[in-house]
Amino acid sequence: MNLFVADPEWGWWIVFYFFVGGIAAGAYFLASLIELVGGPLSGDLPRVGYWIAFPLVLLCGILLTVDLERPDRFWHMLVRSEKVHEALNQNWPSGGWDAMLGAPLLKRWSPMSVGSWALAVFGLCSGLSFLGSLRSEGLMVRLLRQSWFGRILQLVGSLVGFFVAAYTGTLLSATNQPLWSDTPWVAPLFLTSAASTGAATMLLLSRLSGVGCPEAAERLERVDVLALILELLVFAGLLVSLATWFKPIWDTPQGKLLVVAVPAVGILLPLAFYLAGHLNARRAPATLVLAALFSLAGGMLLRYAILKTPREILAERSSLISTMPEPPYGTPGSGAAWLGAISPEDGRQSGQAGADPVNRAGELQPRTKIPGLE
Amino acid sequence: MPEAVGFFTDTTVCIGCKACEVACHQWNDLPAQLGPPQSDGLRHPLPLTGDSYDNTGSLSDLNWRHVKFIEQFSPDRKQAAWLMMSDVCKHCANAPCLEVCPTGAILRTEFDTVYIHEPACNGCRDCVSACPFGVIHMSQDPNKLVAQKCTFCYDRLRHDLAPACAQACPTQSIMFGPLKQLQEKARSRVRQLQQEGVKSARLYGEDKTILGGLNAFYLLVDRPETYGLPANPKLPSRKVPWSSFLSIVTALFTGLAVLFAFRSRTERPEVRESA
Repeated sequence: MNLFVADPEWGWWIVFYFFVGGIAAGAYFLASLIELVGGPLSGDLPRVGYWIAFPLVLLCGILLTVDLERPDRFWHMLVRSEKVHEALNQNWPSGGWDAMLGAPLLKRWSPMSVGSWALAVFGLCSGLSFLGSLRSEGLMVRLLRQSWFGRILQLVGSLVGFFVAAYTGTLLSATNQPLWSDTPWVAPLFLTSAASTGAATMLLLSRLSGVGCPEAAERLERVDVLALILELLVFAGLLVSLATWFKPIWDTPQGKLLVVAVPAVGILLPLAFYLAGHLNARRAPATLVLAALFSLAGGMLLRYAILKTPREILAERSSLISTMPEPPYGTPGSGAAWLGAISPEDGRQSGQAGADPVNRAGELQPRTKIPGLE
Repeated sequence: MPEAVGFFTDTTVCIGCKACEVACHQWNDLPAQLGPPQSDGLRHPLPLTGDSYDNTGSLSDLNWRHVKFIEQFSPDRKQAAWLMMSDVCKHCANAPCLEVCPTGAILRTEFDTVYIHEPACNGCRDCVSACPFGVIHMSQDPNKLVAQKCTFCYDRLRHDLAPACAQACPTQSIMFGPLKQLQEKARSRVRQLQQEGVKSARLYGEDKTILGGLNAFYLLVDRPETYGLPANPKLPSRKVPWSSFLSIVTALFTGLAVLFAFRSRTERPEVRESA
């Protein structure tokens, strides 16, 4: 646990983004998979998932842009601004294509960079599916959901959906913050939470709108129960991986939320209500609604607790520094698990470019106040 | 290509004068750090920290150098000693901030230093969370609002001048020069101190063990943690493979759950056959 870092101040916008993005991704990969494998058994239920995914991913875009210190530069996530300026100076699109083609920027080892592209692709896929699900039949439905194009869309969409659900956790782990970077289990936990909150939202909306046949909804409940059990296992993995640092985490209010409230509210209560609904012959709708609502509340608590705990640990760092072990981080021969370098920065030697894909060394004119050179 | 350059900071000769801080503020036009707005609507200078002679507190968007004062007392508190250390961006050979930056705003200069190109930064703060030393902070200046840190006086290097802090340091605690020469100098200095009986003298970041080597490395006389330096900082990408692998496995199980629930062989076989 590295206690010497600064707080990135990722606050409520990001908590909401992780929560809303999880629902959108979960609803979308569930809807796509159900449509792919369910056939007639899917009973129009995927439509509900598509209704959820696209509006929420638009909301995600807004939340993420608002969170930037310079929202006017949100597009720098995807393209190199100076290349775009260069292309525009050459009267793009009538010229300057070389510069424009060199503009897209993807750092495959940076979760935020890949995640930005994944969100763009996810927005496209979910937008098309949304168009295809506005009506229950017609040209759009045949073209965007029932044709071979629809199949490809569902396949790609479900994969991108899984990615969007999990990458936020990998993004947190790919830092040096306490808690986040001490465990690889945040990403799979976010993924299972996306599945359970996505299913919960689909079930609620299906009940409200009357779209999606009850048998299909019942099958989705079964998926949700399995997803919740998986979430419980992943949560146990998270706790075990953090055992060494349990005390500093537990000593913060958000840490207690994470360890107690998240599994209780987000996993155990929904499971209990599903079980109660299953045992009850009349299948009281209230149990289903309660299970879904607790799932959603748990998903929100999870994002809040995970995002806010490191800051609280850092606030107490003066009392922890002498006691917190820092294990060797996977280098070959260190004994720690290491799956090899995935970024050119890893093992970079002096003089090499490393993870700077567009090294402009020597090109830039830094601001200066040296007389005559300002 | 010019040679790789670095700082070798010998903390044993630091006298805590903060000339480096002043020189840095002056050259880089960094204003004084003010506190949050008070009841009169104005921002005032920060009150005294009460932490030894350190009133800078920490590195920040406006303090790119920070002289740390670490007070050490014997158990009976009859003897006291100060450790002083001028902290700065380490300009890592394997730089966590540069690795995660999604906009390409953080880049490596021809001098092998790490530089934030402000016009490209969009303020996502991933570099802040990635830096294992807590160096990078977001500018509070409404005209900037981008990530800020030591530039290694990139503009001065371009014109064959030493960085302002190193030039100002009166005891040569901060030494500037070609990295290879500095590493030689540092090793001989440790040998000298060891021979003189300072058995705890050690280097931090001079070899490749800390993030492939630090271009700003240190001579310390206590554990790195005592100086507020992490013992084993890591590259953010080191966590990506396991995190991805576990996510893929979890996704597969989730997919299987859907398959299991929507492809039941026992129920409604007539529908399955017609499908």
